[in-house]
Amino acid sequence: MSQFKRRDVLKIGALAATASSFPAILRAQSKEIVILGLWDQTGAFADVGPLNDRGMKMALEERDMKILGRPIKYVTRDGGTQAGTSTRRTEEAVDAEGAKFVVGPWSSGVALAVSEVAKRKKVVHLFSGGTEDISGSRCHRYSFQWAASPYTAAKTVVDNFMKANPKAKRWHLLVADYAFGWSVEKYIKEVGKTHGIEFVGADRHPLGEREFSNYVQKAAANKPDVVVMINFGGDAVAGAREIFNFGLTPKLPLIMSWSSGVEELVQLAPEIRENLWVGTNFYYTVDTPAAKNFVKNYQAKFKLPPGYAPSAAYSMTRMLLAGFDKAKSDDVQAVVKALEGLEMNDIVGPMRVDGATHQTLRPYFLLRCKAKGAMKHELDFADVVATGDAPLPKEYAACKDIGSF
Amino acid sequence: MSLLAGQILNGIATGMLYALMGLGLSLITGILNIPNFAHGALFAVGAYLLATAVNVLGNFWIGLVVAPLGVALLGLAIEYAGIRRLYAAGHDYQLLFTFGLSLILAEGIILVWGPVGISHLPPEILRGGVDLGFTFYPKYRLFVMVAAGLLVFLTWLFLEKTRYGAIMRAGIENKEMVSLLGIDIHLLFTVAFALGAWLAGIAGALTAPIRGLSPGMGVDMLGIAFVVVALGGLGNLLGAIAAGLLIGVAQAIVAAYWTEASTVVIYAVMAGVLLVRPQGLFGIR
Repeated sequence: MSQFKRRDVLKIGALAATASSFPAILRAQSKEIVILGLWDQTGAFADVGPLNDRGMKMALEERDMKILGRPIKYVTRDGGTQAGTSTRRTEEAVDAEGAKFVVGPWSSGVALAVSEVAKRKKVVHLFSGGTEDISGSRCHRYSFQWAASPYTAAKTVVDNFMKANPKAKRWHLLVADYAFGWSVEKYIKEVGKTHGIEFVGADRHPLGEREFSNYVQKAAANKPDVVVMINFGGDAVAGAREIFNFGLTPKLPLIMSWSSGVEELVQLAPEIRENLWVGTNFYYTVDTPAAKNFVKNYQAKFKLPPGYAPSAAYSMTRMLLAGFDKAKSDDVQAVVKALEGLEMNDIVGPMRVDGATHQTLRPYFLLRCKAKGAMKHELDFADVVATGDAPLPKEYAACKDIGSF
Repeated sequence: MSLLAGQILNGIATGMLYALMGLGLSLITGILNIPNFAHGALFAVGAYLLATAVNVLGNFWIGLVVAPLGVALLGLAIEYAGIRRLYAAGHDYQLLFTFGLSLILAEGIILVWGPVGISHLPPEILRGGVDLGFTFYPKYRLFVMVAAGLLVFLTWLFLEKTRYGAIMRAGIENKEMVSLLGIDIHLLFTVAFALGAWLAGIAGALTAPIRGLSPGMGVDMLGIAFVVVALGGLGNLLGAIAAGLLIGVAQAIVAAYWTEASTVVIYAVMAGVLLVRPQGLFGIR
């Protein structure tokens, strides 16, 4: 039996060292197309991440986890609803897993940080949220915004609410104190001016606030005709509950201007939902073929109909896959070019990605919740009373030049 | 002025709940000398048990008695089957155990009650509000203020005026001495943990109609409970009550004028007091 010589050992050592230090990105390049779902499992949006994940998986499974005849490798990371964690884990997934396509996260403030990573690492980034900056002042070639522009949302909510309640001119705002809240607040005030609305108060609260009595007391003292919340998830639910406990609703209307829809409404008792008006990016009774199919499959799996969170993840993923189809390539720049100007008839209806800003131009919905006696079944929360798709007027557009690759 | 008075009222109601949480945690930390990271989860279990009890029994008041008792029994089991084995181990083991337990309880809530939050309305008689002259105030919050205040007082009375309460206080001061006097120290530990858990459970049950239920609801409360204990002085029961009220009122007053700082003020008050009195408001060590 021959024995190892010193030279053999050195050769094996060198080989092993080369293999182990080989960038993982090269190993992943073989066949798979790696897509990262950056969904929070911890932190303020810990309850939303699993729902995002459901939606994204459903969109990928519809295509049998394949695109361009190649397998899709779906990897997920928990961003922790923190900018530091999210950017670090995105970079890790890009470097170690070879992910060139990132969907998420859920928080606007965190997504702005992830968008910078996408720009630096030159990977495609799809996001859905209420900040206007992704497709505004901080726009670039790699990030895309799926949710309606905060202007579209504000215009849909304010115009249609005022049509139904022309005398409700004194508005008190409760605003989540981060990128999303600021953007929507700005446009609600802008659109409000055209209706002669007087903003009698606007209080900002930290993300993750659960003690709303102090805010509601202030709101009540201002004697508003309507209270408007620009917050999301647990904050919106806690706020709506306390506004009811203090006896403001149902006497006064309450507007949840940017709601996740089902996931928030199901947490509120029917009594609390009375006289509640809800602006949302998606509601499960939206009458489109894609929505009907998605809602049916989602409910078959998870019982509850999908709200905004799984729907956004589902539709963003379908948008990305449509980009692959159009580009006939998984080259990042080719996919970006394909997504620019992409038109789809998806769950919310007709959608078009504005190539100049990367903002998706699409409908936004205003719901009116039903009184307990008018509900046909326990999930019959609301009617879609209006749909609006007014794009951001040019004078507000902050994305002057989307730039080059 | 009426706004300020209303906010102070809010602060007292919230502060009473903080005091209940802090009192329970202070009792456990003081007597058992372990950091109970599962205290927030016990608070959440109390809220969920109340909702279930009300749904099953159809009566809020029975639910309000049954739910905290359920949490006390759970506390008893936790101490007897788990914590008791770790007294000899270091703080890191106890910390890991209670932290792990908090995760298990939170996941258990998801398994039993689901991941989506639930609203639980106050009983019919306590819905709506009353006009106090200077402000319109929810009846249920007034009830919470009185009920929590009464419970805090009764707990204080038990600890100060009964023989077993005296033994418990002695246990906080010097466990070895209590043990040498022939008192069953293990039983004392079990009772203290169960009583602490009961207080967390009743705080959770009272909070359910105000804040609703969600699996993570204990996390926010845990942080505040630790602030209350640190602020009041470790193991100091009167301190826990004062600290709970101080934080609740400070939070409410700051929210009236500077809403963005309403969470930060909790920790700012703690940092401010500890800088001046490192042993806490009423602490001596």
